[in-house]
Amino acid sequence: MTTRMRALIRVLLFAGLVTLSGCASHPENPLMVVDGEAAYRANCLACHQADGRGVPYFQPPLVDGPWVMGEPQALAAFVLTGGFNSGERKEGPNDNVMPAFTYLDDATLAAVLTYVRARFGNNAGPVTPEVVKQTRRHLRASGAASEAPHESQ
Amino acid sequence: MPRLPSLTLIVGFTIAATAQAADNDGLSLPPGFHATVVHEGVGFARHIAIRDNGDLYVATRQPPFVREDPSKNVGIVALRDTNADGKADVVEHFSEVRGTGLQFYKGMLYASNDVAVYRFRFKADELVPKAAPETVIEGFVQERQHADKPFAFDDNGHIYVNVGAPANACQEKDRTPGSPGQRPCPLLERYGGIWQFNAEKTEQSQVADGTRYATGLRNAVALEWNSKADALFVVMHGRDQLDTLWPQLFTAEDNAGRVAEEMHAIRQGGDYGWPYTYFDVKRSIRMLGPEYGGDGKTPAEPGRYPDPLVAFPAHWAPNDIIFYEGSAFPESYRGGAFIAFHGSWNRAPLPQAGYKVVFVPFKDGKPSGEWQVFANHFVSDPLQDNSPANAERRPVGLAVAADGSLYITDSVNGRIWRVTYAGT
Repeated sequence: MTTRMRALIRVLLFAGLVTLSGCASHPENPLMVVDGEAAYRANCLACHQADGRGVPYFQPPLVDGPWVMGEPQALAAFVLTGGFNSGERKEGPNDNVMPAFTYLDDATLAAVLTYVRARFGNNAGPVTPEVVKQTRRHLRASGAASEAPHESQ
Repeated sequence: MPRLPSLTLIVGFTIAATAQAADNDGLSLPPGFHATVVHEGVGFARHIAIRDNGDLYVATRQPPFVREDPSKNVGIVALRDTNADGKADVVEHFSEVRGTGLQFYKGMLYASNDVAVYRFRFKADELVPKAAPETVIEGFVQERQHADKPFAFDDNGHIYVNVGAPANACQEKDRTPGSPGQRPCPLLERYGGIWQFNAEKTEQSQVADGTRYATGLRNAVALEWNSKADALFVVMHGRDQLDTLWPQLFTAEDNAGRVAEEMHAIRQGGDYGWPYTYFDVKRSIRMLGPEYGGDGKTPAEPGRYPDPLVAFPAHWAPNDIIFYEGSAFPESYRGGAFIAFHGSWNRAPLPQAGYKVVFVPFKDGKPSGEWQVFANHFVSDPLQDNSPANAERRPVGLAVAADGSLYITDSVNGRIWRVTYAGT
């Protein structure tokens, strides 16, 4: 677990958003609302590639990564704040910065994260729009995503 | 048995083609050229330099946390062929300098990382310099994107350092859809250009001692002085992500097909148009960038920025250029430019491309004909799953030895090839 991941989870824990059990219930299926694969193609594929393996030293693979497979809230927070988090990855550091995906609405972000967590050999559970919504609100309140805090439509 | 002859023919042809490919380690080359493997792989190789005595030096960006073999966990690889069989049989690693730029100048090996240029002095025929390196230039800001500091020397005592822009198109928010471009782009003060320094003076710094020799160059990893033209030549990495950043204006086909990798002969004080413009390969005209009001149809202000001498296909990633001044290759190669294209990632979902070495014929210091593919099939065709992570080999560095042979490095495993010409 990276320093940044720990820091984000600490913030979210404080807000009561992370249970650390990893067993939060996910009543709704976001895939029923937005096509996660289409959202992946539009927002992620250019950098992380069609097979999710990224580009060596440029963009990290999404396969079995600590963020992709970790807590839904931490993943949502990472994608909403963007930036780097590759210094401790086994593949090595990556040059390119990820934008903050605050411009995606809750349903789309939930769908694409759910898609990524279930594809490319990954097998983590879904990320719900509610988790994205709460994470976004909390990040905005804490100032971590204060610059472009698109509220969900 | 009417089908047997054709089957035999196919089998025979396949065997012949395979044999030919195996001869060149799977690379395809023009008739009469031959590639041999000098070393199977030295790691994450970048540029290559050859000492007068034939010793090879390869810059690497080997990550510091790949610790399986600590002895290899340093930046520069030195290779020597002691029995003249064409294979490096002594391989040493030295220096903490991990980067791309590497070149000999007046017998000293210059090497750069993201923040500085160093040099190593050699005693006699030592393969690994024992003396501590000297700092030639320092004070480049540590960045991650386009952070390499490749360099070139002129004939008048100067070194030219590429300072790539840590951005795609100088948006307020880098690589963020719809984010406008900053005008003027503040990055151009310290990045996005070529800085000129004294080639021999030590302890220089970018701000105090450097001259911004040219600007508007996003990232010119491939740069080399051309003595005939008396000019620095660069091949620039063009901007990425037209379609994903501006989906209302551009298609994936536009992104994969339009933004040139531009070759320029640099003139001092020149501005080559990044981030405000890009050069459209298909229209053969410089366009206003979408971050600056462009819509894919509006040309840039005519005459404001030079057109490229050669507009290469989009996203091929030119990572080294060298002018062939040897005499071992046919006459048509003399003075021409070899360019190593590392290969694309930003053409997805369209097929990736550009994993090859290209040749541009020159006459009197100017391109004199169409560019042509020189070395190809570094990767399988098509690339498996269209994924750069599956690229078997990616050409990245070039050097010409005293005997006129061309050396090529690969960044995936650090394979090194020597290309010779034996005639047809």
